Amino acid sequence: MGEAVLELKNIQKRFPGVVALKGIDLEVRAHEILGLVGENGAGKSTLMKILVGLQRPDPGGQFLLRGRPVVLDGPEAAIRNGIGMVFQEGAMIPNLSVLDNLFLCHEDPFTRGGLLSQRRMAEKARTVLAGVGLEGLDPRAPMGELSAAQKQMVEIARLLWMSEHYGVENPILILDEPTTVLQDAEVRRLFAILNELKKRASIIFISHRLEEVVQHSDRVYVLKDGAHVGTLERTPGMDPQAPIAEVPRVVQMMVGHELSAEHYRESMQTEPGQDVVLRVRGLHKEGLFRDFSLDLRAGEIVGLVGLLGSGKEAVCRCLMGAERPDGGTIEVGGKRVRFRSPKDAIRVGIGCVPIDRRSEGLATSLDVAENVNLLVLRGLRLGPFLDPRRERANAERWATECLVKTPSLRAQAGNLSGGNQQKVVIAKWLAAHVRILILDHPTRGIDVGAKDEIYARIRTLAASGMSLLIMCDTLEEDIGLSNRLLVMKDGAVVRELSCAAREKPSPVEVVSHVV
Amino acid sequence: MNRDPLASAPGAPGLPGNGSAAAPDRLAALRTRFRRPLDVVSRGITGQLVALAIVFTIFGFGTGGVNLSPRNLLVILDLAGPPMIVCLGIHLVIVIGAMDLSTEGIMSFVAVSCGLLVRNAFNANDIGFWVVPVAVLLGGAAGLAGGLLSTLARIPSFIATLGLWWITQGLSVIIGKGNAVPMLDTRFQAIASGRTLHVPNSILMAAALFLALWALQKRTRFGRHMYAIGGDEALARQAGVRVNRVKVLVFVLTGAIYGFAALLISAQLATTNPRIGNGRLFPAMTAVAVGGVSLSGGVGGALNAVLGTLIVVALANGMVLMGLSPYVQTAVTGVVLILAVALTIDRKKIGIIK
Amino acid sequence: MERIRRNPLIISIAFLVALIAAFSYGDRTFVSAYNIGSLMEVVAVLLAVGLGQACVIVTGGIDLSVGSIISLVSVVFMVTLGPLGAAAYPLVLLVGAGCGFLNGLVVSKLRIPSFIGTLGTQGILQSLAFLVRENAVTPPEDRYALLDLVQGKVGPVSAFWIISAAVFVLFFAAQRFLPVGRHVFYVGANERMSWLGGLDVDRARIFAFTLAGFGAAVAGIVVSARLYQGYPQIGVEYVLLSIAVVVVGGTPMTGGAGGAVNTLVGALILAVIRNGLPVVGVDAYQQQVILGILVIIAVAVTFDRTKVAIIK
Repeated sequence: MGEAVLELKNIQKRFPGVVALKGIDLEVRAHEILGLVGENGAGKSTLMKILVGLQRPDPGGQFLLRGRPVVLDGPEAAIRNGIGMVFQEGAMIPNLSVLDNLFLCHEDPFTRGGLLSQRRMAEKARTVLAGVGLEGLDPRAPMGELSAAQKQMVEIARLLWMSEHYGVENPILILDEPTTVLQDAEVRRLFAILNELKKRASIIFISHRLEEVVQHSDRVYVLKDGAHVGTLERTPGMDPQAPIAEVPRVVQMMVGHELSAEHYRESMQTEPGQDVVLRVRGLHKEGLFRDFSLDLRAGEIVGLVGLLGSGKEAVCRCLMGAERPDGGTIEVGGKRVRFRSPKDAIRVGIGCVPIDRRSEGLATSLDVAENVNLLVLRGLRLGPFLDPRRERANAERWATECLVKTPSLRAQAGNLSGGNQQKVVIAKWLAAHVRILILDHPTRGIDVGAKDEIYARIRTLAASGMSLLIMCDTLEEDIGLSNRLLVMKDGAVVRELSCAAREKPSPVEVVSHVV
Repeated sequence: MNRDPLASAPGAPGLPGNGSAAAPDRLAALRTRFRRPLDVVSRGITGQLVALAIVFTIFGFGTGGVNLSPRNLLVILDLAGPPMIVCLGIHLVIVIGAMDLSTEGIMSFVAVSCGLLVRNAFNANDIGFWVVPVAVLLGGAAGLAGGLLSTLARIPSFIATLGLWWITQGLSVIIGKGNAVPMLDTRFQAIASGRTLHVPNSILMAAALFLALWALQKRTRFGRHMYAIGGDEALARQAGVRVNRVKVLVFVLTGAIYGFAALLISAQLATTNPRIGNGRLFPAMTAVAVGGVSLSGGVGGALNAVLGTLIVVALANGMVLMGLSPYVQTAVTGVVLILAVALTIDRKKIGIIK
Repeated sequence: MERIRRNPLIISIAFLVALIAAFSYGDRTFVSAYNIGSLMEVVAVLLAVGLGQACVIVTGGIDLSVGSIISLVSVVFMVTLGPLGAAAYPLVLLVGAGCGFLNGLVVSKLRIPSFIGTLGTQGILQSLAFLVRENAVTPPEDRYALLDLVQGKVGPVSAFWIISAAVFVLFFAAQRFLPVGRHVFYVGANERMSWLGGLDVDRARIFAFTLAGFGAAVAGIVVSARLYQGYPQIGVEYVLLSIAVVVVGGTPMTGGAGGAVNTLVGALILAVIRNGLPVVGVDAYQQQVILGILVIIAVAVTFDRTKVAIIK
């Protein structure tokens, strides 16, 4: 481990209405892997954007790179200074070839008289790719045909090549959630390569998978509510095979307090009824999940847990009719059903509050009333025509029921806060009297107060007999809210856990089944 | 290894050194030996060549082989020159994922302007061959307007060029007072309608333009950046591509090509009028789509534009030989456009079809 | 500002008032009974074709075939007026709506962008119009009385007023009071959400295109009746005019907003421009330049750039 390459001192960033970073100090040393953790909204992404020049810090702080103060006025400047980032969603252009992507915008070494030499680019590409363990890859292959792991390594190769091109010693690579799209073997491979790269670079590694962070980072930097709350070191000599002992400490620093039993309104948790409302048997979809079975009872809350790619999202898409399974049966209320589109699922009483409100849940350019009435519009007619009074009455009723705070029913849905937008989406489904509601990350991007209201709403819905299938932002949320958990891994349910009130399993126990 | 969606992706997880991934890796190596991946500039050529062959075969039967006579092939090449040049222009805009509707307006505007600058029946101007750079510059300037509107003013190129279409169309009538302007300098028609070694000059010009654009797309930074923008504009910007500059230049280049095409057509007719561009957009767009240039941007290049034009022209020529009414031909072109797009469009990329 | 961008009706109305004031200043007789009468001729056509176009634009699409539909309707109307008499009216309305229905099928079932789909059908329908009649066609003189219905008067009120009012009420009601009319807005605002909400997206889109075809048919009847003749290219200019009517009225190209009232204002603005510019000495082609600029400005003001990160 070496001297500091990058030092941030008292870095602040305010957005209208929010302080994203409250005076951050950060040190990145040469030849280290620095783990960066924090809950959603802790300020991780703002910090990263400042590091790669996508955003500028507020004046007052210091940004020292290799001992000298620098101002990064864009990603270009960050690259020239040897700071590059591998984005979670990937930054490679799919229609171009690997070598086009590798050298995009930095083609000058391969240009003679204004013409590019594809041959020389390919030669260089082979050596650059070999440096990250991609010896066999054809540099002329279209980027879109590569696996997620290969794409990631090509991105890393690009960053390394650019720092070499600009003569920067010891560049800083930032990896944002690199392991979410990888399988076990690929993850191991990634870390083997990262440990090799450490010899000539510093790596900032961001992940929600705390075990990985703790296991592979030399130091772990914890952010909470826009402030730095501590740095944990992997003490030399400690057995790297057993670092899991540190995870609880990281969790505690991230969360800041022991979770109280009441946090998820557990006193309101009710026992499910006896009737099986939704019975799924042997559902499978090629390449996504297999042999999924479920008995969802009236008033029951079942949490689906698993990593990205475990197949849980695909299961839900099949249950709401947005995708067609390859086989298996679905019964609703004892009757066999088959969904050709979401319309069929809605008809038998299945609704879904999607993860991405703006693109799937809400018509942001329409008003609150129109959003609430969407599903029941035909029921608000007088003869063949819509009755404005019934429309208003219906919207009024469900918006009030769901405690939507809006200046008026005619206000644009897009102008409400995240929490109120989510309540509008829920109101829409309640108005349609669905019996089964799938909640896909219902508290994503919602502030704490609104979260609590959503939790209470979930409880009252279950108490009233509605069945809920939930997938949450955090494992704690899943455990806290559910009556029962189904743990999915690599497309199959690997474990079922009971989550009766006051007998909840610990997150660590659940995690051991998830990964 | 566990079953995983990623494992089934083409070019599967080939991180070598990993025991379980070695097999697919050898496979990939084998595959690349036999099938070198086609560059994005020429992806999808095979289907177009087949389509062209099918068109010739069908009309070969329909016309008793007349369409395949050397004489008729030369006719096809003669007819293909001007539309090919227009199509080579418009396809550049499509490649960057934008849209251009200003074709007809810009062409009419440039044609009338040039008609009034060479020796003509209305004024004393006679700038001779200087009119060639003037036509290119005028077209380029009109394209510049479209490019600036769609980048700096952030108006969708569809609307910006729609507005530009009316503006240039209106201007073409205003400057020529609505008249047809005969070109009295006969050298222009001699060149534009002439042949070199039996090959029509217009198709030679189109071929030269094709070669230049082909090299531009394959061998220059500017060309590669066009494809980066067409593939994913946001990511291209993130990688450091000067997106606005490239886009504006593409519009300028396209406008310049329209300008040249307008002059060529005027010269062939030995007259200019404000309707000279009429009916040019529809076939050019059809040729682009039929040629396999992705309308969502980023895939297909100059070769696709050339093949697309040849298909459309061969189709029209075959229908003429079979004695079909010209009105039926328009309808057939419409059907071909719709089918070509329906069969080739990448719906994943647009997501929502508007 | 945000409010204005979402529905810039206020700007459009202010612009309309300013235009009328300016032309009245240039020519005292601009606001006269005679001129308003001739204004309404233009309004009736632009409103019919514009209201239809607006339905499609609200879904986030565009219909480039309305001009061909007008042409086809025009020749079919004049050809059938002789043998069929008054029955030609409902027949051509059906033809127009049928063409629109076809557009809707092509765009939604083949899943292609509407500007390509309707660019294609535009060519097909134009051919059909030519195949029906290559040149101008006039009906037998004894049928002129039927055409006079369109330009006649009902009591003191000119028929153009009645036609304008009728199409406006029809389209307004379809969008406000029919569930499927409302679905058009949902689809335009968020297609993915509409589909997940069980809406029949294809049906809503087909409905919008059918209305566009119907509106074009009304426009086709009015333009032909005014001239006592039909010809197969009579509709060419109306593609662009209809788009101009919609965007100048403040309906955003991104879909999900605007509608009938906006289109009414847009039609009035364009009608005033078309009638007013000659009064102050601007000819038809200079008008075209001005319209082009106006459309660009209208979109620059109303285009919601927050909705699309990348302007293509």
